[in-house]
Amino acid sequence: MRTPASGDGAAKISDNHTMAGLTSSPLRRAVTAPFTRRAWADLAYAVVSFPLAMAAFAFSLVMLENGIFWAVSAPAVRKLGAANRYLARRLLGEDIPAPPPLRPYAWVRVQTPDAGRLAALAEAEGGRVKQHGDKVKIAKLPATRIAELAADEHIVVHALRPQGTIGWYNGAIRDRYAWLARLYFGMKAITASLHLLVAVGFPLAGLFYLTYPLWQEFAGAGPGLGSGHPVELAASFLFVPVGAALLLATPWLSRAVSELDVMFIRGFLGPGNDPAALAERVRDLEKARAHAVDDSAARLRSIERDLHDGAQAQLVALAMKLGLAKEKLELTAPPDLTRVAQLVDDAHRNAIEAISELRTLARGIHPSVLDNGLTDALTTLAARSAVPVELIADIPERPSAAIETIAYFSAAELLANVAKHSGARHATLEAVHVPGLLRIRVTDDGRGGASPAPGGGLRGLAERVRTVDGRLDIDSPPGGPTVVTVELPSHA
Amino acid sequence: MLRIVIAEDAAVIRAGLAEVLADRGHEVVAAVGDAEALKAAVAEHKPDVAIIDVRMPPDHTDEGLRAAIAIRRERPATSILVFSQYVETRYAADLLRMRPGPGAGGVGYLLKDRVANVREFTDAIARVAAGGTALDPEVVTGMLNAARHASTLATLTGRERDVLALMAEGRSNTAIAERLVVSERAVEKHISNIFSKLGLPPSDSDHRRVLAVLAYLGS
Repeated sequence: MRTPASGDGAAKISDNHTMAGLTSSPLRRAVTAPFTRRAWADLAYAVVSFPLAMAAFAFSLVMLENGIFWAVSAPAVRKLGAANRYLARRLLGEDIPAPPPLRPYAWVRVQTPDAGRLAALAEAEGGRVKQHGDKVKIAKLPATRIAELAADEHIVVHALRPQGTIGWYNGAIRDRYAWLARLYFGMKAITASLHLLVAVGFPLAGLFYLTYPLWQEFAGAGPGLGSGHPVELAASFLFVPVGAALLLATPWLSRAVSELDVMFIRGFLGPGNDPAALAERVRDLEKARAHAVDDSAARLRSIERDLHDGAQAQLVALAMKLGLAKEKLELTAPPDLTRVAQLVDDAHRNAIEAISELRTLARGIHPSVLDNGLTDALTTLAARSAVPVELIADIPERPSAAIETIAYFSAAELLANVAKHSGARHATLEAVHVPGLLRIRVTDDGRGGASPAPGGGLRGLAERVRTVDGRLDIDSPPGGPTVVTVELPSHA
Repeated sequence: MLRIVIAEDAAVIRAGLAEVLADRGHEVVAAVGDAEALKAAVAEHKPDVAIIDVRMPPDHTDEGLRAAIAIRRERPATSILVFSQYVETRYAADLLRMRPGPGAGGVGYLLKDRVANVREFTDAIARVAAGGTALDPEVVTGMLNAARHASTLATLTGRERDVLALMAEGRSNTAIAERLVVSERAVEKHISNIFSKLGLPPSDSDHRRVLAVLAYLGS
């Protein structure tokens, strides 16, 4: 699966999915299922998320003691939820967005002789109001808005005190997402145990039963008449198909459990359909759309510039030279053929230059090498790189065309950065597509210190990736190594 | 023989222009790639003609045109031929509206594609160097379109508008008459109609009348 692709050599990619991916027969699928990447990802998820689930469950349980604990543990419980979402994303390719951040549930205490009127006004504005005599407690409205309301209505206010720490405390106690996360870990304690049993216990048991006759024969395992007894030995072969069945069933059952878990994560650890979360999502999308529009406008501008400075200039020069040559042939007698030949030669050179510039430009708009899929395109890219690049590609199914294009340009930009800035002697380009998620990762052994500086290539790349809800992570300590990861959804 | 400065950021076109001009026996005293170098070259060489690309570094917007206007103000005797990629009527109007006075050099505004036609290009240079005007037909059409909303212009007949367009290109009455296949007297009649409709006093100078018309169109 790993093949070094150096500057001049052609890179060969073998794909561990070809076998599973190409077959359509259910029988073959059943047999090969335990060896797919997905099966290993499920196993890894079962093993890694189990201790997390148990720790989170125990923590939540202990922290149920009293209200102060609820508030204090809310951020930690949310972090545990985030860790679980991270595992689901990295291992299962399920990208579940984070819930909105914890919001303080702040009361503003107002003292005013006109308490009744202010209370009514605040309630009409959507605030939650409690009134005791000349004191009003108002929640869900910022202090500034309350002051405005009072001023507009000429209500005299003696005191107006927002409750800072108390507000946070109240918010944390009521934090809907912390409670959902506690609920999730309660259930997760069960699903995680079940998952571990299915993903680890079943195959171990399967192996044991599959080889049961051997155990029976040599180790004297099992109850009954004792080792070596011919009837026992014959009977022990009955366990072999049970073992095989367990082994074959493992990936399907394990997958079913992890899918159930993903459903829970979506329902309990995600943003759900909370209006504030939706509003945040809308803001995100608006930002991403603005980036997309700006990005395409900037790209059109740069294409126009490239055409103007490149092919068009060459063609104008070509036309001028041909025009001169034509005049020489028509108007001078006898024509100065040496001069004409030189003009035509120059014009020819302009034409060749224009063609090559158009080709470069066309490749920048849509690399035709992508027509055969991302793996082929990345192979070519890796082979063309000035720094030797090792390519690891695992793309069993093609992502959508827009995603392939962005992935390709991301890889091209990252490899160009490696060649230009890192001083690396070797780089690795990884492209892995699991259902729902395409990950491009470029690792180099250069000097590190890469950052998404404003106006820089990495920043531009990050913005471009964001337009399709992707993300870009940079890990580049001074001295290296640099790891840049681009994660894209399978479909834009 | 003319002494010429070229300001054009694409080296390949710069070289092409220099070759064509040299072929016609002109002397290219400087060929530069940006507006600052252009101003310095004009101050140093005092050329007869400056050929200027509108878009040049650093911003690739209208650096060349601003330099052209500055040159026209500071050294009015220099004839100017401006090239642009697209019809940008506002630029043309800005440049043509400047009337530095007697003895001033000519002004031309061509689309870049025109240089491909060697004859048209060298004719335009000759016209501008003689103190005349050379306007790209597309630039003229663009300016007329831009001004079509003006109510006074709407009072012109189709034929009068044709005459106006040809005038704006810098053609003489004889040339206009030839082009429209009418008598020269008829052209004169159209022109006096145009001037009276536009409220402009007639003048005997080809150049000034074009400037007057364009100043009106560009306003």
